[in-house]
Amino acid sequence: MSIYSSAVKKPITTSMVFLAVIILGLYSLTKLPIDFYPEVEFPAISVITTYPGAGAGDIETNITRPLEDGFNSLSNLKKLHSTSRENISVVTLEFEWGVNIDEATNDVRNALEFSKRRLPDDAEQPMIFKFNSSLMPIMFFSVKSEESYVGIEKLLDERLVNRLNRIDGIGQVGVMGSPKRVVYIDIDPRKLESYNLTIEMIGGIVAAENINLPSGKIEMGLMDYQLKVEGEFSRSEQIKDVPVGSFMGQTIYINDIATVRDTVKDMTIFERADGLNATRMMIMKQSGGNTVAVAKAVREQLVEIQKTLPKDIKVIPIFDSSEFISTSVRNLSETLLYALLFVILVILFFLGRWRATFIVVITIPISLIVSFIYLQLSGNTINIISLASLSIAIGMVVDDAIVVLENITRHIERGSTPREAALHATNEVWLAVIVTTLVVLAVFIPLTFVSGITGVMFRQLGWIVSIVITTSTIAAISLTPMMSSLLLRLRPEKEKKSFYDRTIKVWLDKLDNFYARTIKWSLRHKTVVLFSALAIFVGSLFLIPFLGTEFMPESDESRVSIFAELQTGTRVDETAKIVKQIEDIIEERYPETRLVSSSYGADDQAGVSSIFGSAGSHIINIQMRLVKPHERKRTCWEIGDDIREQLKQIPEIVNYTIGFGGGFGGGGGGNNIDVEIYGYDFEVTNKIANELSERIKKIEGARDVSISREKSKPELKVVLDRDKLSQFGLNTATVSMAMRNRVQGMIATKYREKGEEYDIIVRLEEDFRNSITDIENISFTNSQGQQIRLTEIGEVQEHWSPPNIERLNRERIVKVTCKPYKTSMGDLAKNIQKEIDQVEVSGDVIIEVGGAYKDQQESFADLGLLMILSLTLVYIVMASQFESFRMPLIIMFSIPFSFTGVILALFITGIPLSVIAALGAILLIGIVVKNGIVLVDFINLMRDRGVPLYQAIEEAGRSRLRPVLMTAFTTILGLLPMALSTGEGSEIWSPMGISVMGGLVFSTIITMIIIPVAYAIFTNKGERSEIKTKHLAAYNFMDDENDVK
Amino acid sequence: MKAVFITYNLALSEKIEYMLNALEIRGYSQWPTMFGRGSEKGEPRMGSHTWPEFNAGIITIVEEEKVDILLQKIKNLDHVNLDVGVRAFVWDIEKMY
Repeated sequence: MSIYSSAVKKPITTSMVFLAVIILGLYSLTKLPIDFYPEVEFPAISVITTYPGAGAGDIETNITRPLEDGFNSLSNLKKLHSTSRENISVVTLEFEWGVNIDEATNDVRNALEFSKRRLPDDAEQPMIFKFNSSLMPIMFFSVKSEESYVGIEKLLDERLVNRLNRIDGIGQVGVMGSPKRVVYIDIDPRKLESYNLTIEMIGGIVAAENINLPSGKIEMGLMDYQLKVEGEFSRSEQIKDVPVGSFMGQTIYINDIATVRDTVKDMTIFERADGLNATRMMIMKQSGGNTVAVAKAVREQLVEIQKTLPKDIKVIPIFDSSEFISTSVRNLSETLLYALLFVILVILFFLGRWRATFIVVITIPISLIVSFIYLQLSGNTINIISLASLSIAIGMVVDDAIVVLENITRHIERGSTPREAALHATNEVWLAVIVTTLVVLAVFIPLTFVSGITGVMFRQLGWIVSIVITTSTIAAISLTPMMSSLLLRLRPEKEKKSFYDRTIKVWLDKLDNFYARTIKWSLRHKTVVLFSALAIFVGSLFLIPFLGTEFMPESDESRVSIFAELQTGTRVDETAKIVKQIEDIIEERYPETRLVSSSYGADDQAGVSSIFGSAGSHIINIQMRLVKPHERKRTCWEIGDDIREQLKQIPEIVNYTIGFGGGFGGGGGGNNIDVEIYGYDFEVTNKIANELSERIKKIEGARDVSISREKSKPELKVVLDRDKLSQFGLNTATVSMAMRNRVQGMIATKYREKGEEYDIIVRLEEDFRNSITDIENISFTNSQGQQIRLTEIGEVQEHWSPPNIERLNRERIVKVTCKPYKTSMGDLAKNIQKEIDQVEVSGDVIIEVGGAYKDQQESFADLGLLMILSLTLVYIVMASQFESFRMPLIIMFSIPFSFTGVILALFITGIPLSVIAALGAILLIGIVVKNGIVLVDFINLMRDRGVPLYQAIEEAGRSRLRPVLMTAFTTILGLLPMALSTGEGSEIWSPMGISVMGGLVFSTIITMIIIPVAYAIFTNKGERSEIKTKHLAAYNFMDDENDVK
Repeated sequence: MKAVFITYNLALSEKIEYMLNALEIRGYSQWPTMFGRGSEKGEPRMGSHTWPEFNAGIITIVEEEKVDILLQKIKNLDHVNLDVGVRAFVWDIEKMY
């Protein structure tokens, strides 16, 4: 028994099955996490090896190269990137997208086992570091404070961090830039020397004084008493009064030779928010956690926590990734609802009957809801890709139901009971319905094969649309006949015509006639039609050079981030002045700003963070949060460009880049163009990099030009004379230790208060350690008690640290990076290539253009391949449906015109051709071809019924115009809200809406003219049946002259 | 006794069944699906893509007096919608078992 007859005969079973599907889908929906993009694990692994004391060059030869050689043979390795700097080597292995990262990690570990033997003995164990999206903070907060600033660290830790950590789904809460309490003993070296003391002695004495020691038990009478010596400082002022020695009978106290300060640690990293001191708090989610839910929980907790904090402490969100996600998702859900509304209106317009409309429309929610089950089962999220996919599908899911319903209605009008009509009518069309679905699947299934970063998005789109369309077909041949059999009735011919019959129906009839006349005319002027169509197509191709290209549309996330670099080695307080200057400019020029937060300087324990980006006392990071896009006139890009102009005028800033938000999961985000200069010699490559960077800066539309190789940093080096050292009875170890104690300070002991410990640091007063002369005058005491100055045993040299050595695929590389502004990436890349061609390059240097531009090229190539694959599959499906090689060609004749439509739409709207827009063009293939099939199939049918060619074409056109317009309009209007949407994040999906709409409008019009004409040209006027013409001889028994005697 | 052979569009099967019941004609043999086309105007019913829909056929042996009533009802049914046709052909039964 077939699916439709079972469905009609068992309406309760059928409705229960679909009800179950809906319930499962809605249940999945409540469980689905919400995110911006499908989860992307950047497939990269870093191997970090430290080799203390080695310079960048040594690190490169002894650590990086052996490791790289070992990793080179790993499978699926895409890029091998390494940085060798002093003491540390970081090798980053980038794998192909979609590689199982756990397996890759194992491979790396195995390869490491082999290469480890070739590493120097002193090198530390290489550490494997996996990139993970949960490392990316989902929220940043700035904690502003005034009076409480000094004690904020403890306060935050107790009241904020611990409580937030308890929230489900939070991976880590990090606090940066909070001041640390510390007790400094700043010593005047002149007094020290005159009393014959040393820093180490003072440190030792302070440590010896600050001690609590249990000293046994005393039995007295009936009791046992614990005996303790308690010398620990109970207040930090007590340190001042510690005697450190005596000189000429006088006791010398610490107070005499030093100033004791109980204060916050000298900071090298600073945070400011709206000009006030601040601390930055970062919140990381667990991998696979629900960003929106976690962020919501954090916000709710914060309201509670805020009550327990002192009045002056304010926790202000700087960046909340969930905000953008939820508004985008809300916007897209809204467009989905509008799409649904439009689709319903279109169906009602064409069918003119409530019940019929209801039967058709009911397939929409059912089909869409099934996609939630898929998302839940495959561990995906609700994100803008999945929602955009639904938007694309919404207009297509009704098509099958419409075809079935139309046929059922026809049967009812011919006198069948609804039940019979449902059975027979479905029987007639179910195969055709499945075939058209196959055509659409032929376009969408290949999307699931796409690899790379584009694949991450397209795979989901491919699956969702395929699943939704398949469901809609199943519903169309089971639920639709079932419901028709129950709901539809034969309408008695009314005396008085209804409103619909009097207005819309009359108008539609006129349209049909007009169209039939148009076909008639074009069939008589085939050459004219053909050539003008060709002219339109070729003409549109000439527009392509005027279209810009970009990789991914960027969206205005209401964030601007400034990264500025001063002269390397600039002191933190100088940097602070520049930060203030920039903050003032921002306050004055950009009233759109809601919050400014700046950080500058570097933490001492840079460690792992140094892999991700450079930090240092000369580096400034400023984050601006803007008001929502519709509340301001300027876009974030315009503001960014104005900031660039302002930064140019600050002479101290040597380099800057402006960023606009998170990009794509930390992966190949943004629209960067990298010029990669490969070459061994630093001098040569530096020169080329500088020349190129100068040239690129002059190109119109190139912004944020920067060179990847860090500039050399000035350093002071103490060079000791070993002969003199030994004469004074010193050695390098003692001198370097003593230097460290005097300059950086010696952690003598810990001061305890209320269960917390704070360092007590002994060192020279700042005035005695901030010039080369001061350093040279530092004195050491040898074992004989002599005081020896540094000048006596060595000298201080000024020195430039060697640069980091960056390598890509085992060759040294320098990258010149820039971003396009108001120009497309493709054009900029072309101009850059021109400049590159003008640069003189010696034989062993290779220059290539890479970065996001390369990704774009690769993606476009992928899409091209995808298109060929789709076209082939579509051809295969159609050829088998029509049992003809020629028919599919006639139908596919319309595809070029859909591209013309895309080009025109993009040209008119001025939107650059991005991967997203190109994807829209591919989707069009399926939709356009579907229209063609409907038309050609009916022409064939008419001819099989013996209607002459031209008349068949004309009549088929008249009768199929409405179904074609209906499917086209449901799809077009389904996409309209997506194309028009201007909300946050719409920049990403609206190009797809616009390109599909443009293509569809244009190609529908052209298709309806060109396909009939092409049909007329490609087929013979005679009979479609080939039996008589081909096998004439076999039928000659009918001829009279062949009568057997 | 007369044999009445009725061919009809499959869409009419429920009505034909109802008619036979109403006229108290119990015995019949049926071809559930048949192809066919009308001699003059009738569209072919080939169950194919070009000519969709099927016909069905029933042969029933009835008393002579019932034949005219039957043919009259069939004519009525045919005129409900001329596109959905039904025809009946009558011939004599010479012997029966």
